[in-house]
Amino acid sequence: MEFRILTKLIISSLLLLAVTSCTKEVQIDIPGYKDQLVIDGSIETGQPAIVLLSKSNNVYSATNFQAYLDGFVSGATVIISNGTETDTLTEICSDNLPPGTEEIAAAFFGLPVDVLINLHLCAYISFGMIGEVGKTYTLRVITNGSEYTAATNIYNPTPLDSLYWKPEGSYTDRGFSWVKLSDPSQSGDSYAWQVKLAGMTNFSRTFNPFFNDKFFNGQTFDFAYENPMSFDDPNADPAYRGYYKLGDTVIVKFSKIGRKEYNFFEKKYNQMYSGGNPFATPTNVPTNINGGALGIWVGYSPWFDTLVCQ
Amino acid sequence: MKIILSFLLTITCFFAAAQTKVTLSGYITDAIDGEALKDVKVFIPSLKVGAMSNSYGFYSLTVAPGKYTVEFRSMAYGSEVKEIDLSKSQVFSIELGSKVNNVNEVVVNVKKTENVTSTKMGQIELQMDQIKTLPAFMGEVDVIKAIQLLPGVSSVSEGGQGFYVRGGGPDQNLVLLDEGVVYNAAHLFGFFSVFNADAVKSVNLIKGGMPANFGGRMSSVLEVNMNEGNMKRLKVTGGIGAISSRLTLEGPIKKDKGSFIVSARRTYIDILLKAAISDTSPFAGSSYFFYDFNAKLNYKLSAKDRIFLSGYYGKDVFNFSDTKGGFGANMPWGNGIAALRWNHLFSDKLFMNLTTTFSDYMFKFGSQQDEFRFELASGIRDVGAKVDFSYFPNPIHRIKWGADYKYHTFTPTSVTAQNDTTVFDTGAAQKLYSHEAAAYILDEFDLNDQLRLNVGLRYSAFAHVGPFTRYIKGDGISTQDTTIQYQKGDLIKFYHGLEPRVSMRWLLPDNSSIKAGYAYNYQYVHLTSLSAVSLPTDIWFPTTDIAKPEKGWQGSVGYFRNFFNDKFESSIEVYYKEMKNLIEFKEGALPGDNVNDNTDNILVFGEGRAYGIEFFFKKSVGRFTGWVGYTWAKTERRFPDINEGNIYPAKYDRRHDLSLVGTYKLNDRWTFSASFIYATGNTLTLPSSWYVQEQNLLFNYGARNSTRMAPYHRLDLSATLYSKAYKTKIDPTTGKEIEVKKRYRSNWSFSIYNVYNRMNPFFLYVDNDGDFLQGNFKLTVKQVSLFPIIPSATWNFEF
Repeated sequence: MEFRILTKLIISSLLLLAVTSCTKEVQIDIPGYKDQLVIDGSIETGQPAIVLLSKSNNVYSATNFQAYLDGFVSGATVIISNGTETDTLTEICSDNLPPGTEEIAAAFFGLPVDVLINLHLCAYISFGMIGEVGKTYTLRVITNGSEYTAATNIYNPTPLDSLYWKPEGSYTDRGFSWVKLSDPSQSGDSYAWQVKLAGMTNFSRTFNPFFNDKFFNGQTFDFAYENPMSFDDPNADPAYRGYYKLGDTVIVKFSKIGRKEYNFFEKKYNQMYSGGNPFATPTNVPTNINGGALGIWVGYSPWFDTLVCQ
Repeated sequence: MKIILSFLLTITCFFAAAQTKVTLSGYITDAIDGEALKDVKVFIPSLKVGAMSNSYGFYSLTVAPGKYTVEFRSMAYGSEVKEIDLSKSQVFSIELGSKVNNVNEVVVNVKKTENVTSTKMGQIELQMDQIKTLPAFMGEVDVIKAIQLLPGVSSVSEGGQGFYVRGGGPDQNLVLLDEGVVYNAAHLFGFFSVFNADAVKSVNLIKGGMPANFGGRMSSVLEVNMNEGNMKRLKVTGGIGAISSRLTLEGPIKKDKGSFIVSARRTYIDILLKAAISDTSPFAGSSYFFYDFNAKLNYKLSAKDRIFLSGYYGKDVFNFSDTKGGFGANMPWGNGIAALRWNHLFSDKLFMNLTTTFSDYMFKFGSQQDEFRFELASGIRDVGAKVDFSYFPNPIHRIKWGADYKYHTFTPTSVTAQNDTTVFDTGAAQKLYSHEAAAYILDEFDLNDQLRLNVGLRYSAFAHVGPFTRYIKGDGISTQDTTIQYQKGDLIKFYHGLEPRVSMRWLLPDNSSIKAGYAYNYQYVHLTSLSAVSLPTDIWFPTTDIAKPEKGWQGSVGYFRNFFNDKFESSIEVYYKEMKNLIEFKEGALPGDNVNDNTDNILVFGEGRAYGIEFFFKKSVGRFTGWVGYTWAKTERRFPDINEGNIYPAKYDRRHDLSLVGTYKLNDRWTFSASFIYATGNTLTLPSSWYVQEQNLLFNYGARNSTRMAPYHRLDLSATLYSKAYKTKIDPTTGKEIEVKKRYRSNWSFSIYNVYNRMNPFFLYVDNDGDFLQGNFKLTVKQVSLFPIIPSATWNFEF
């Protein structure tokens, strides 16, 4: 993150210099558009695989929700294998959800239930196979005469040593969640950090949820994470955003992921946070999918822990 | 082998022939301040032979014994004729008369005929007098901006550091300040150069046909020579501008024996910012400034020995403070350069220059956010020595040979990070050590009245040595990360190669000539940039076992012609250049990726080519002087790991580049200048498509550099008002009124940058606005322009 700050500082100072700079909209030819399949698939310990298929859109095409909906791909053949067994995923659409799954689906798509059930959003789900630690899962997607493949692993999870909460600065009832982590000696361990408050259905991602052990391989150390839910709460006091309050119960989902998958998420977040940065090297988010598709096929190996802020 | 033998035989013959002749040699200096004068032609009309003074003012001309009329001729100093009895060899040093303030007084211009007669191709020397009259951005006279007005040279962007020559990258330019290497020639992210115009004597750019005495870079050599200091009297020069002021003090240590010069410059942007930001603001303490300091001493130890000690130190400092957010950052960067030179005359035909140099460039970034502290440093440090011999056996041959050695210490990245008491493992500070050496020989000789050849051969070698840790990355599944440790002095990798250099001139009737040149170059140090533009964060990196030396060749052919008694000179040059082992970061590489890893593990390698045609038309004589330069060029790159292995245009690929520069001297007090440039827009890579992953909008970029910005064009104007140069005085002997040159002089320089307020593109980006779910989300391409019309004024003085 410091490197991002460094880049941003340089940009800020350049822009500060250009006190008289002027920005205007221009129409310019951007060649190179390719219609590509986007695979957004995941599998985690104890859970079925979920795969979304959509299409990329020209940057000058309409960028709205309808375009997003129109991009969903139905009728594909999606198959996963754990090396010994194979499962063909079932396509489930939001306007035809099994009873009791509406809220889960709504959270998955990031949409209100009443909006979702009136839309035709489809996902492919492996009802015949769930993720297991230590296995490699291959994915095959066949659509429009093209085939795409990918593989991911579910590793042994890395346990957290402990969780604790402490007030931040002058606050007595607001603070970050702290964690003590002993990273395994093997380098290249990569992680995803998600949290939710007790009572919530879905986990949320923090500002910078993916990291690896490049800076702390084999070390035991403490670090803090913010409360991401507070930023989505329109009623939250802006002064307290990012903090957990005394008495909160926080459920942490600390997942181990593979290196290639980490590479995808690292570059993805880098692209998101450097959006519009003219000095950044234009970087496509690298995929682990073969065959010319965009996106990711990722296996999560989560470790769950609960923190009561006190 | 046959060529080498005949070459040695030829040299031997001339050594023998030289025994029956006499030699006229000496130093040529400025009569007013004692500065050594380069490129003064010493010419004997009756024999039609001549020699040129070198950069230390030394000349040597060997002829048959006799009495001769000898002309000493220079563009800026006019001509002096001496009768010299050369019945035996003579040392004849001469001070050329008062400097012609403006070139309109010069009738005979030897340097202009050089345009046609010399073997030099793609070489241009700019005089500081000329540069100082050009329109200046915010009043800061800038050497780098001046050379960007020449054909074949282009700027990175309005505010980018560095320059591009004939399709080469910014690191492919060897920038020398008194023979010390300048690794970052930019202040303020490239808005200004590190060269203080008051301290600079001359600027020489070699963009093609690089002679064998230069090497280590693929594209060009920019030689910047500092003033030596006034040998005659104490002199103060200075200027007060819109954003900076400068002061120079020079004078004799001992009259006509030694002199010194010290020059300093500092911006006051920080003071202006301080006034703009209140003490209670959370950003109080944020500032930016740069300063630089030049110093030089020279002393004539004897008639045959002279020493020079030159130094430069400059730094940019950027501080950022956000007390509310608990964040502070400090970012200094800068160069330090020192050069000690010894000139020695072994004989009247053999001149030696021995130079020891020290160059240092460092970039640091430190920050603190509450209890988290972070520091990053990168840099390069060289110590080296160089020896050059110039041998003048007769007027037909000018032979040079020499050797060069540097010991490089690179710090690509050194990072420390600490959170409260927890120290993060950022790996050991990575340093890379290497030896770089070269030896060369060249001979410029006339085969007949039409054909002149400059033949040279350079041998260069590079050794990457320990201590060094090589990281070998596993995939984390079947293979794990391992390291190889090299101890101090261990040879890790050795590279070497021959670099032939040839150029020729064939004189044609009508004051014209055809020239051709070929140069092969190796480059062992590389600048790697994670950004789409050049920034101080760019990393200098050596050749290693993984990163191979860049190498390539350039061939050029040109037609040169002068018109109207050499008042106008013109040239057309065509060039083709091929480059191998070029370096880029892998797609998606991030600055921290080389922590606990080697930088070259995140590099990719490719090749490039560039070709183009350059037209140059110049008028150096008369009240109106100036030039027109036009370049048509194409620059391409191909990296197997970038752009799916397809050829793509370099980011500075410009099809058309036009510059018009004119200076008009109205009278002794007013001089007006104008410059206009037009350039095809830079290329860049913009997203060609968007997609959604986990509810996040992501972009997919199209082909590398496939989008081109709108053309860049700009007109700048300037006017300089000089104080009266002479005052009237009564001559006590004659009682008549006479004019006496004033000791105190000043001028006002007024500039208008971007006269017609063109909003040139600085960069483009894809912006998004609206709400995805509401259906009003929109992606648009936005263009950011930096500078509108900017008037400025600078007051300069000297006494």
